[in-house]
Amino acid sequence: MNAPKNALLLIGSAKKPGASASEALGGYLVRQLAARGQASETRYVARTMRSESRIGELLAAVERADVFVLAFPLYVDSLPYLVTKALERIAESRQGQSAEGAAQFVAIVNSGFPEAVHNQTALAICRQFAKEAGFRWAGGLALGGGAPFSGKPLEEAGGMAHKVIAALDTAAAALALGQPIPDEAVAALANPVMSPRFYTLMGGMGWRLEGLRNGVYRQLRARPFAS
Amino acid sequence: MKTTILNGGLAGDRFTDHMQHLLQAELSDNGGDATVWTLRDEKIAYCLGCFDCWTKTPGICRIDDAGRDVAASIIASDLVVFLTPVTFGGYSSELKKAVDRSICLISPFFTRIDGEVHHQRRYDHYPAMLAIGILPEQNPEQEAIFTTLVERHAINLHAPQHAAVVVMRSQDEQTLRSVLHAALPARETERQ
Ligand SMILES: Cc1cc2nc3c(=O)[nH]c(=O)nc-3n(C[C@H](O)[C@H](O)[C@H](O)COP(=O)(O)O)c2cc1C
Repeated sequence: MNAPKNALLLIGSAKKPGASASEALGGYLVRQLAARGQASETRYVARTMRSESRIGELLAAVERADVFVLAFPLYVDSLPYLVTKALERIAESRQGQSAEGAAQFVAIVNSGFPEAVHNQTALAICRQFAKEAGFRWAGGLALGGGAPFSGKPLEEAGGMAHKVIAALDTAAAALALGQPIPDEAVAALANPVMSPRFYTLMGGMGWRLEGLRNGVYRQLRARPFAS
Repeated sequence: MKTTILNGGLAGDRFTDHMQHLLQAELSDNGGDATVWTLRDEKIAYCLGCFDCWTKTPGICRIDDAGRDVAASIIASDLVVFLTPVTFGGYSSELKKAVDRSICLISPFFTRIDGEVHHQRRYDHYPAMLAIGILPEQNPEQEAIFTTLVERHAINLHAPQHAAVVVMRSQDEQTLRSVLHAALPARETERQ
C-alpha cells in the first residue's frame, strides 16, 4: 500500500479557531502526520457551512485527502448539527463510491462527561458515515472530559496530556503507514484523564464561579419556561 | 395531553411530512393537541457551544430565534416526538439543529445515573420522548444505532418514558398507521 500523502482535518467545534478541545486533539494528530511527511490542511465546520463555495472547497479537499480526520465535540450523545450537515453533504457528493483504495476516515470525539463511553454512539454514527460515503474506516478515538484541553495545543497542556499524546502518537504512526488505529491507542485514550468524582467537583465549581462572574449565581437553576 | 412534534425532514422530503400528518391524525383521534415545528422552515441558528444558557442567561439561549421557542415548546409538553430521517444511524441535521439548542432545559450541575455522570434536571417534569426514524429500507445496523441514541438522549433529557421506532419509506400506509398506533401509548404513561 502506498503511504498516504495528504491529511485533511475538519474541526467540528463551532468555537473560534484555537479555542476548542477538538482542535487541540485533531491538530496534534495531524501535526504528527505532517512530521511524517504528509501535507495537511485544516478546515473549520462553522466557517465552511456558511457558504456554498466553502462547502465546495471542503468537498474538493475531501477528494484530495488520503487521511480524513474529523475532530468534534459530543453534542447530545451524537454529532453537532454543523458536523451532521457537513457529513450529509459529503456523503451526498460521494454517492456510489467504493471504499476500496479510498481515503481513511478517522473520528476523534471529546465529551463533557468524564467517561469516554458517552461517545460510543457518536463513533458508531461516524463509522456508519464512513461506510455510506465510501471511506475506509480507520477507527475512532474518544476522550471523556475534554474541556481541560481546550484553547491550547496539546503540547502545552502539561502532565495531564501525556496519556493523550501517547495515544495520538500511536494512532499517527499507524495512519502514516495507511493502517487503522491500533486498539491500544483507543483503549489508552478511553481511560479518564481525571477521576469522574474529581472532574464533576471541579466542573460544578467552575459553573458556580462562572455564574458569580456573570452576576447570575443565584439564578443558575432558573426555570424561565416553567408554566 | 400536550405534544410537540419536531419534523426533521430535509428539504423536499415529502415522506417525513406525510408521517407527520399521519401522526397528527393519530394524536387527534385520541383527543390530543400537537404543536408542530417543521424545522427546515424555521430560523434556528446553530449552537455556539458557549454555555451562556447555563452561566449567563440561565435556562435560555442567548440567541433570540425559533430555537428558543422550540425548547420552550418541548418543556411545556407531555410528549415530544422526534420525526427524522435516520442519518448514518443518528438524527438528521435539521432535527439536530433544534436538539443542540435544547441543552438550556437541563442544569449544568452533575448527578450520577446508573453510575455514569449526567446533568441534573432544571425542571420538575420533562416530556416523554418518542423518536420515529425513517429509513429507505431495513438496515439493522442503523436501527441499532438509532435505538441506542434515543436511549442515551432520553437519559440526558430526563424523559420519564421513551421509545424509538423505525419505519421504511417502502411501507404501505396501513402498516405505517399501525406502527404509529402501537408507538403512541408511550405518551399515556404517567410521568415520574
Ligand atoms: C449543545 C451541547 C451538547 C452537549 N452534549 C453533551 C453530551 O451529550 N455528553 C457530553 O458528555 N458532553 C456534552 N457536551 C459537552 C461538550 O462535548 C464538551 O464541552 C466538549 O469538551 C466541547 O469540545 P470542543 O471544545 O471541542 O467544542 C455538550 C455541549 C454542548 C454545547
